[in-house]
Amino acid sequence: MSAATETDEPIAPPRPGVLARLLREPAAAFSLLLVVLLIAAAILAPLLAPTDPYDNDLSLAMQPPGSEGLPLGADAQGRDMITRLLFGLRVSLLMGFAAVVLGGGLGAALGFLAAFYHRWLDGPIMRLVDIMLSFPAILVGLAIAAIFGPGIFSVVMALSVATVPLMARIVRGSAMVVMRLDYIEAARATGMTDARLIWKHLAPNCLSAIFVFATLRFGQVILLGSALSFLGLGAQPPVPELGAMASEGRNFLFFAPHIAVVPCILIFIVVLAFNVLGDALRDALDPRLRV
Amino acid sequence: MLRHALHRLILAVPVMFGVLLIGFLLMQVVPTDPATVRAGPTATPDVIAAIRADLGLDKPLYVQFGLYLWRLVQGDLGASIINNVPVSQELGTTIGPTLELMFASLFWSIPLGILLGTLAGYWRGSLIDRTIMAISVAGVSVPVFFLGLVLIWFVGFQWQLLPFTGRGGPLWTLDGIQSIILPAITLGGVFIGPVARMTRTAVLDVLSADHVRTARAKGLTERLVVLRHALRNALVPVITLIGLQIGFLLGGAVVTETVFSWPGVGRLAVGAILSSDFPMAQGTIIVLSMGFIVINLTVDVLYAALDPRIRGA
Repeated sequence: MSAATETDEPIAPPRPGVLARLLREPAAAFSLLLVVLLIAAAILAPLLAPTDPYDNDLSLAMQPPGSEGLPLGADAQGRDMITRLLFGLRVSLLMGFAAVVLGGGLGAALGFLAAFYHRWLDGPIMRLVDIMLSFPAILVGLAIAAIFGPGIFSVVMALSVATVPLMARIVRGSAMVVMRLDYIEAARATGMTDARLIWKHLAPNCLSAIFVFATLRFGQVILLGSALSFLGLGAQPPVPELGAMASEGRNFLFFAPHIAVVPCILIFIVVLAFNVLGDALRDALDPRLRV
Repeated sequence: MLRHALHRLILAVPVMFGVLLIGFLLMQVVPTDPATVRAGPTATPDVIAAIRADLGLDKPLYVQFGLYLWRLVQGDLGASIINNVPVSQELGTTIGPTLELMFASLFWSIPLGILLGTLAGYWRGSLIDRTIMAISVAGVSVPVFFLGLVLIWFVGFQWQLLPFTGRGGPLWTLDGIQSIILPAITLGGVFIGPVARMTRTAVLDVLSADHVRTARAKGLTERLVVLRHALRNALVPVITLIGLQIGFLLGGAVVTETVFSWPGVGRLAVGAILSSDFPMAQGTIIVLSMGFIVINLTVDVLYAALDPRIRGA
C-alpha cells in the first residue's frame, strides 16, 4: 500500500480484454478449459454417470481399469469408478465452493468494514484476523471435527473459518487503496449512505482482487478438504468424495491400486487447474500482485 | 527489537488464552460426562457424585475453567476415555517422532527449495525458470497422501527397498533411518514448491537492489555477487516465510503420519477424534496449537533480530 496509493494509476476495474490476455498464455487457456470441463462434469454428473453411485455389484469388486464396461475399473464394493469419480468431484467441488463463498464472503465483509470505517474498526478487525491467522487450517479442522464430529459439515466449516482471515486481509488491502481515490469523496459528497457507497462504489472496484484470491483459494480449499476427508474427518463412506475415496482405496492399495490412485489423480488435476488459472488471472487482472 | 518482541508477545497472550478457552469449552459441549467415565461402568451414583465433586464439576463454569487451568499448569491434561492412559504421557511419547519427522523433512527440502528458487530467480524467464516454477506449482497442487501412497506402492511394495509402516527406532540406528526416509520424502516433497517460490521472489527483489549493482560494478565475479550479496540478503525473508509455513507443514505431517502409521501427535489427534476420545483430542489439539503459537512467535522475533529494518516497526 505504499507507492501505489500516491499515484493516479487506475485501480483495476476489470478492463476489456482480460479474457483475451488470459487466453494468450497456453497454460492459462488450458487451465480455464479444464476448470470449465470439471465444473460441467460435476454439475452434469447424474446425466453423465453410467450407473448410480451407490449401486454395487460385488462380483465386479476391484476390477482393474480397462475391464469390460468399466474403463476405470470398479472399487472394492464393485461400484463403477467413473460414476464414483463424477459424484466425488461433485461433492468435493461443492464443499470447496461452499467454503469459499461462506468464508470468503464473511472475510470480504470484514475487509470492507475495516477499510471503510478505518478509524474505529481497522484495529479490532485486523487484530481478530491476526488471531485467526495464528491457527493453521489443519488445527481448525481437527478442533471443529472434535466438537461437531466428523462429517461434511465440519469440513466446510473448518475450511470457511480458515478462509475468513485471508480474504479479509486481501480485501482490506485492496479497499484501502480505493478509499483514497477522489471519486469516493465525490460520491460521499452527494449524500449517499455508507452501505450504498460500499456496495456501489467500493466493492465493484475490489472485485478483481476478490476474484483472483477466490480462485487461488479454491484450489487450496479442495486440497485441504480432501486431506481432512482422507483422515476420516470429512465425508463418511459410502458418500462419494474424492479424499474419502482415496482413503477407502488405501486399504486395497496392494491388490487394486487404482481405487486409491485414480481419485488422487483427479484431486491433483482439479487443484492444479485452479492454481494455474488463479496465477494467470492474477497476472491478467492485476499485474501489481504478481510475485 | 525489544519493543517488537514485547508487542508480539502481548498479541500472543489472548491467542493462547483463546486456545485454552476453546479447549475447555470443547469438553463442555461433548456428550460425555468425565466423572461417569472416570468412575467406570460399575460405579454407584454416590461414587460418581464424589468424583464429580473431586473434579469440581459441581462448581460454576468459571470456577471450573480456573481449576482446568490450574491442572493444566501442573501438566494434568486428563486421561484417555479408551484406555485411561494419562494424556500427558501419550503426548510425551508422540511429540518426539513428530518433531523428528518434521526436521527430517526440512533437512532436505529447504536446501533443495532454496537452490531451485535461486536458480529460477537468477535465470528469470528462461526455460530453467519456467521448469522450476512448473514443478513448484505441481508440488503445491499434489495431495500429500497421493505422494505417500505412490512411494509406498513403488518403493515399499513393488521394489521392497524401504519399510513403510511405523517408526523403526531412534535415528542413530539403521532401522530408524530406513523407516523415516519415505515419510520424510513425502512431507518434504510438498514443502519444496513453496520454498522455491518464496526464494525466487526474494532473489528477484535483491538482484535489482542497489548494492548488487554496486557489487557488479566493482567487478566482482557473478558467483560472489550471487552467493555473498544476493542470496545472503534474500535468505532473511525466506527464513521468515518458511517459519510462517510451519502450519502448512503441520497439516502435511498429520496426513503423512496417518499414511505411514508414524507414531506422532497428528496421528494420535486424528485417532482420538475418530474414536470420540475427547480428553485425548482436547490435549493433543491444545498442545499442537501452543507449539504452533510458540514457533510463530520465535520466528517473528528472530526475524526482527536478523533484519534491523523492521526493528522499529
